[in-house]
Amino acid sequence: MRRFYFIGFLVLVCFDTFAQVCFKLTANHAMPPEASLAWVLRVMSSPWVYCAIGCYIGAFVTWMVLLEHAPIGPAFAASHLEVVSVLALSVVLFDEHIGAPQLIGSALILAGIVCLAISETEGEPPAAAP
Amino acid sequence: MSTLVVLLWLANIVLDTFGQLSFKAAATGPDLGEGLARWRAMARRPWIWLGVAAYVAEFLVWLAFLSLVPLSQGVLLGSINIVAVMVAGRMLFAEHFTPLRTLGILLVACGVAVVGIGA
Repeated sequence: MRRFYFIGFLVLVCFDTFAQVCFKLTANHAMPPEASLAWVLRVMSSPWVYCAIGCYIGAFVTWMVLLEHAPIGPAFAASHLEVVSVLALSVVLFDEHIGAPQLIGSALILAGIVCLAISETEGEPPAAAP
Repeated sequence: MSTLVVLLWLANIVLDTFGQLSFKAAATGPDLGEGLARWRAMARRPWIWLGVAAYVAEFLVWLAFLSLVPLSQGVLLGSINIVAVMVAGRMLFAEHFTPLRTLGILLVACGVAVVGIGA
């Protein structure tokens, strides 16, 4: 089960992260932003928007596989690892600058996910009768 | 915050929590089978479609919300969804609040809120 969660969340975070990167690349491709048909056509002529949709579908499939076993509360929290990976990639790929709050927040998210991972390896308590 | 902002915020919490719980309801159960059969069984359940509908509605509510508040505040306020889903998971799926699990979830929620503060 540990392996199932590890691989599952890794795949989920990759899909979620690349979806956001693809949306950013789509938006850059479609510059300047404007409420017009021309902008919609520019968005749809970008290959990245289709990559983003593909990543969304991949993330959905992965999430539904994970939820067969994963409890929703901790799993939903753990899926926010995406926030950290998107922040990191935005610095590397798009030269964005992040401040101290983003670093502290990322550290808190990672600490929380470490807690969730440890609590999972300690063994799932038997589910109480509904 | 104006009334509309509060209403959109509450709608976002409700839709996000309802959607996630629907996905969980669709994904679990003893009679789902394996592989492709599992997907066919899930597609026959209303829950997966209710979840998708909630997700689409949430997307629109979130866009409206962000048109009224800055993204940083949106992310900050959105972090409460993590706690809402945790509480709902306990109430509807009898998920346990072990101390480490609760700490982990709260740390993630605080982390998302702090990221929002500085955005």
